[in-house]
Amino acid sequence: MTRLAPIVALALLVSACATAALDDGPDVTPGEQPPPASVEADFWMITDAAEARIRDSGRRVMDPAINAYVRRVVCAIAGPYCGDIRVYIIRVPDFNASMMPNGAMQVWTGLLLRARNEAEFAYVIGHEIGHYLRRHTLKRMVDLRTKTDALVFVQLAIGAAGGSPLAGNLVQLLAMASLSAYSRDQERESDAVGFRLLVDAGYDPYQAAPIWRRLIVEARAADEDQRSIFFASHPAPEERAETLERLAEEIRAEGDAFEARYLEAILPLRAGLFRDELRSRRFDRLQVVLDHHFEAAAKLGELHYIQGELYRLRGGDGDEALAIAAYRRALNLDGAPPETHRDLGLMLMRKQQSGEALGHLRAYLAATPEAEDRAMVRSYMARLE
Amino acid sequence: MARAVRRRKTRVGMVLAIGLLVGACAQTIAFNKSAEFTPSSPSPRILLMPADIELSELSAAGIAFPKAEWTTAAIDNVGTAIEGFMASRNATLIAYQAPPAASPEAYLQNQIIKLHGAVGNAVLAHKFGPANALPTMADKFDYTLGEGVRALAGDRAIAEYALFVYLRDSYASGERAAVMIFGLLLGVAVPGGLQIGFASLVDLESGDIVWFNRLVNPTGDLRTPDPARKTIENLLADFPL
Repeated sequence: MTRLAPIVALALLVSACATAALDDGPDVTPGEQPPPASVEADFWMITDAAEARIRDSGRRVMDPAINAYVRRVVCAIAGPYCGDIRVYIIRVPDFNASMMPNGAMQVWTGLLLRARNEAEFAYVIGHEIGHYLRRHTLKRMVDLRTKTDALVFVQLAIGAAGGSPLAGNLVQLLAMASLSAYSRDQERESDAVGFRLLVDAGYDPYQAAPIWRRLIVEARAADEDQRSIFFASHPAPEERAETLERLAEEIRAEGDAFEARYLEAILPLRAGLFRDELRSRRFDRLQVVLDHHFEAAAKLGELHYIQGELYRLRGGDGDEALAIAAYRRALNLDGAPPETHRDLGLMLMRKQQSGEALGHLRAYLAATPEAEDRAMVRSYMARLE
Repeated sequence: MARAVRRRKTRVGMVLAIGLLVGACAQTIAFNKSAEFTPSSPSPRILLMPADIELSELSAAGIAFPKAEWTTAAIDNVGTAIEGFMASRNATLIAYQAPPAASPEAYLQNQIIKLHGAVGNAVLAHKFGPANALPTMADKFDYTLGEGVRALAGDRAIAEYALFVYLRDSYASGERAAVMIFGLLLGVAVPGGLQIGFASLVDLESGDIVWFNRLVNPTGDLRTPDPARKTIENLLADFPL
């Protein structure tokens, strides 16, 4: 194996040199289609197939109102490219949006929950459009071929030494984060494009940086290594936030953040999105997200209910009492869902506070007579009566 | 310890290599749900589902880069070949008409197509090769998509069966060919292109996969009509209708 090391090192050097410079091709033009029999056409073929899977995905959010709203924001940012972009909102409780070279854009619901206003959301959309306009995926693929080809002699040497040479399918390789991720330079370039689009669309330029700042807080709250999959491929979030803050200072443009209309758009979905987050059981991260929603203070009853759920599911020392207190606060405020009565009732039942428990379970069934778990709840009530 | 593991890996590798070779010689391995196949009507109608085909070029390093132009040609060639094949059989081929995009029908039918992909992959994983054989499936071939497949034929029940075809075909690029020759000199076997695929016949009443065939072929070329016809003849060799 030691004899291989110099060859590996040399091949790595060669591959690094071959791909050090980003190829500066022209931007995508509105309405552009890939020329037939081109590398671009090849990638469109696989992305079209991937898009078909997303289109019929069971995780896709079909609600017309939120789809129309997201589409409006995308078009405000994308301008002449609006007609080339198809947006799919996907139920995943994580911060992400992505765009394929054929114009298919995915927006994860975790992003909708984490943006505080329309400008923040629009900035992330602009960043993704930046990848699209600058053809980053295509450049990545060409780069991947060059890099792996440069390693072919290493493979042969490994083969000669009795190992198995690399072989694989592009799509499988893309699934590996290290190969599918954009380079740091591409991320910086997309940040710049996203910022320009944000300003051009009349949004407040100071809204580009804060979402990165909050992502840092979220990651720190969870005590997660900064070198997670996300941060490994992206420039350090501090650096990004600082660059965007500097750009905002330089440009000094006026603009609106549109906090109220953003909240109004996501409010009908918000409880469901929080439930998805609760299911992933990353409570420290979720607390950060929940806190920024408390600051906005819309439908506080709903938020205190989610806070109660967080305590109940976390189930640490003293969390039961915290959950009961949160549920009680929720019921005194606007927007507590009927489940607040059920979950509080069940918790009180376990604590032998039968009378009060029964009252809450009754209130739950009165509010949702057709609840799926009504038979179960009735059986608890019969036991309490 | 490490050496023992290594040796076992080599042995598994050899078994795999032999398996591939045998597969190449035998071309296809088919399964039937029951030994005696009785079609549900004297001259059944077969709904031909859109073939899932992707052709790619192997880079020097052996990564399969999809090729749109080749794929388009292959879809045409395979369609023509299947029509030609069925013309000699006692069955009527009906081309699948996709419902309007974004309609509830399209959503439902696409779910069935995706389900078939998942079940087909399960068949490939568990019925071919002893390593992943399921004890409960040892002596039988019993896979179904369920009665939900009736949605494919629609209210008018336009067909009794549906035929699904899946093909992946790769070709060595010039650089890959050079690496293969260089490998030969070093005594390293560098794999070139490979044709793999499967076809399955689904009963549109019960959803059962009544016939399934897999193809592994180190030669073949779907980009041109004649070799494509040969591939389809191999793939449908013991087609039950």
